[in-house]
Amino acid sequence: MVVRALVLGACVALMLRPESVRAQAQDQLIQRAIDLENAGKWREAVSAWRSVISAGQPGQGVLGLERVFSQLGQDDSVLVALDTLIRQRPTDRMLRGAQLRVLRAVGRDPAARSAFDDWVRAQPHDATPYREFAGQLLMEGRALLADTILQAATHALGSTKELRIEVAQLRAGLGLWHEAAVAWREALAQEGFLEQAAQYSLQPAPTDTRDSIRAILRAAPAPLSVRKTLGMLEMGWGQPREAWRTFATLAPADSAYDTWSDFASDAERATAWGPARDALAAMLTARPSGPVAVRAAAAALNAGEPLSALTFVAAAGAILPAATVRAQVLPLELKALSQLGRARDVETRLAANAAQLDPAAVRSYARVLAWAWIRSGQVDKARAALAQASGDDADEVTAWLALFDGDLVTARNGLRHPTENTPEVLNAMALLGRTKADSSRAIGTAFLALARNDSGQAAQRFERAADELTDAAPLLLALAARIHAARRRDALAIPIWQRILQRHGTSPEAAESDLEWARALGRAGDTAGAVDRLEHLILTYPQSALVPQARRELDLARTGVSS
Amino acid sequence: MTSGRSFLRVLVAGVAWIACATTMLGAQHVLVPMDDMQANHLKAYGLAFTALKTGTKTEWFLNYRGGAFLLPEDPALRRKAALDGITVESVSDATLAGIRKEIAAGNMDAVALEKAPRIAIYSPPKSPPWDDAVTLALKYAGIEFTQIWDDEVLKSDLTKFDWIHLHHEDFTGQMNKLYLGFRDTPWFIEQRDRDMGTAQRNGLPHVPALKKAVAAKLRDFVDKGGFLFAMCGATETIELAMGAQNVDIAGAYSDGTPMDADADAKMDWIHTFAFQNVHLEMSPGVNAMSDIDGHQVNVPARRQPLGQFTLFNFSAKFDPVATMLLQDHRKVIPDYYGVTTSFAKAVLKPGVTILATEDGAPWVKYIHGDYGKGSWTYLGGHDPEDPQHNIGAAPTDLALHPNSPGYRLILNNVLFPAAKKKPLKT
Repeated sequence: MVVRALVLGACVALMLRPESVRAQAQDQLIQRAIDLENAGKWREAVSAWRSVISAGQPGQGVLGLERVFSQLGQDDSVLVALDTLIRQRPTDRMLRGAQLRVLRAVGRDPAARSAFDDWVRAQPHDATPYREFAGQLLMEGRALLADTILQAATHALGSTKELRIEVAQLRAGLGLWHEAAVAWREALAQEGFLEQAAQYSLQPAPTDTRDSIRAILRAAPAPLSVRKTLGMLEMGWGQPREAWRTFATLAPADSAYDTWSDFASDAERATAWGPARDALAAMLTARPSGPVAVRAAAAALNAGEPLSALTFVAAAGAILPAATVRAQVLPLELKALSQLGRARDVETRLAANAAQLDPAAVRSYARVLAWAWIRSGQVDKARAALAQASGDDADEVTAWLALFDGDLVTARNGLRHPTENTPEVLNAMALLGRTKADSSRAIGTAFLALARNDSGQAAQRFERAADELTDAAPLLLALAARIHAARRRDALAIPIWQRILQRHGTSPEAAESDLEWARALGRAGDTAGAVDRLEHLILTYPQSALVPQARRELDLARTGVSS
Repeated sequence: MTSGRSFLRVLVAGVAWIACATTMLGAQHVLVPMDDMQANHLKAYGLAFTALKTGTKTEWFLNYRGGAFLLPEDPALRRKAALDGITVESVSDATLAGIRKEIAAGNMDAVALEKAPRIAIYSPPKSPPWDDAVTLALKYAGIEFTQIWDDEVLKSDLTKFDWIHLHHEDFTGQMNKLYLGFRDTPWFIEQRDRDMGTAQRNGLPHVPALKKAVAAKLRDFVDKGGFLFAMCGATETIELAMGAQNVDIAGAYSDGTPMDADADAKMDWIHTFAFQNVHLEMSPGVNAMSDIDGHQVNVPARRQPLGQFTLFNFSAKFDPVATMLLQDHRKVIPDYYGVTTSFAKAVLKPGVTILATEDGAPWVKYIHGDYGKGSWTYLGGHDPEDPQHNIGAAPTDLALHPNSPGYRLILNNVLFPAAKKKPLKT
């Protein structure tokens, strides 16, 4: 039995030996040809690639010759070898493809067409020749000729079902976006792996054609690959919210989870925090995970949704170990509570973790607590909380407290390098840069009201502060008007804009007042009044950066259309 | 006493001369440059139109700084220029004299514009799902116009207009053969029903007959001295409608009978403006009308790629009409598709003036000619700033294209009828 097995083994070895030896020899020839090519020894490389062909590797050899002859500026020299080889192997796609490519590269288009016809004759019922030729033409942007080839395919094969991808690419190449989307949808239904190809092809569609593409790809029932393609397109078109709306329709499964994960990472990179939060939330529902919950909480905070962040904080806290919760989850939780003005909760959470927090963390959290007290309207408690921190005058929270007290000098110092660029910070910096005053109680109370989200009080106090700080009066009035306008209290905002224009007509806020006043009038249906204000802006402040916008809105007001 | 009186006379004359000279030296004009210094070329045409509308004499400096306008100093015009963001320059009499000298010495001319043309746009009462470049341009520039449609053309006196514009309309009555792809869409059904109603109201059997009657009326308008400007599919189809007054060239879906099999031979090219010996597209299933259009955008197998077209140079002093139509700050303009994008050279009548063409291509883009006492101009394509314009696409926002050289060609046409009549040498 053993002997028989040994004999059999020896026979097999003997049978395989010549093949293996030949393959090894071919590999060596190919390696030598590549080495010569890399060394720039073109003449020797030509001989080497010819040897590869002779050794039974015509495809490899021809591709090598094509490259080397191209370097020598003798592209057409490979054609002789190709003619011979194609006679021996008339249906070899690599050889046929190389022949078409070279003929077109040397400008012999009629010969290429004739070579293509010859290939079709050799494989009359095969889509390969059409696919190869049309694909090459599309790569070169010769969409019209590719169109002709695909039409010939339809005629010869009865349909272009086997050439779906080429048809889709062709339509996109011709700018027929609606038709391209239809073709890609058909192609994707058959071969889901084409998502990226479809995205690449449809991505350049102009803005005004995208709704048509969306409608086609959304039409029910849309297979998974089609929806994924649409989501990727939306992301590429800079519409992360729309992208998520598409991805959200995927049924929870492994492939959907991967898609959501990719999307969440993309959205985070694009700082599209809302869609990122939604995608991470969907991932969490499908597969509870501590790190994902932490990312979701951070995304929610960045999206300005602290309440939502607390939900993810709770989820993360339930999964992650205590040390990780303290290091990663607690900061997010405290920030969310602070943004909500829940100072008592911040205190409770800090007390519960006090034993494990190092001094640097305690100082940092004292600021978070101070902000929580500020948002809840208790400045004294904020000050007390901050006493535990560094007490540095340049500290940003200290600066805000000073501003609330009307101490503009300390505020100016502390807000020189703000860590955040929120509208409140920008307003405060603009004001502190505008006035030369060292103190103003009126300004302090106005900003405090704003910090407490009491917009009515804030607007009134900014308006009153304008009488006190005359050098910043137009800015203070504009702040008051902006608060009213943001809450659609146009009737209160209009007298303020009027006051700015009458008393501070040369101030930087004057043009803005005209524009905002015009918009308020437009909202109220007073088109003539809006036109007057816009004309006033354009004629009175011709150097203002708002003039182009005013002209555009003037056109809209006059004609009812934008052009 | 005599010497005293003489002295007085000299003194009075001197004072009068000084007063006159002071007025002349102080007199200012406003030059509206139309070269690259102009911030908003399209609105500048509106400024010239407004000046004419108020009876203000205006001059068009052909080939000078891109076809600049000269207006008298007027606070109202200054105000409009400022509001619209139009670049204007103050010009003293002395500077103006220098400009006139420069114009006299070169291939330039100064054409007086006398009165604001009365403009009509042939456009359906309800907006179709495509925009009309001329309507967009006139609205953006602030040029007034009257909208007319079949009933107005057939029943009213068109001589009250100087200039009529046609755009996308299919005067063969086949609705651009959109029946093939859009027959079930609400807008198509609405348009078909509206046109059939209009035909019945006017005692005509079907839509092709209605459109032929409209085409004949428009030809009559030109014959009597009107200016007709057409773009896109209107160019090709009005020619076919005028030439097919006695032959059925419409598919069965539009008039109930198939096209006359011998239609090609029966066409009457004597009574058309621009084309002759045209071959009609006989298949109702092929979205093309004839071989007039060089690009055939709606027939994939025949569709030709877009290139760029070059505006011809004419002698401003000897060919003022052609020169007026070609005032632009660019000479080479990217092409754009339309139902009819271009005009095959092979079918142009002798005597047609070619205004713009694509180098090496068998088609031209922009043509002009006279008929009777009037004249016509055809510009191929649909929208100069939307090369691939598709049905249902959002209208072009011209606020984003205030310097569009393609739209300037349209607006040149609007002002052309305002030019003071003088012997035309074109």
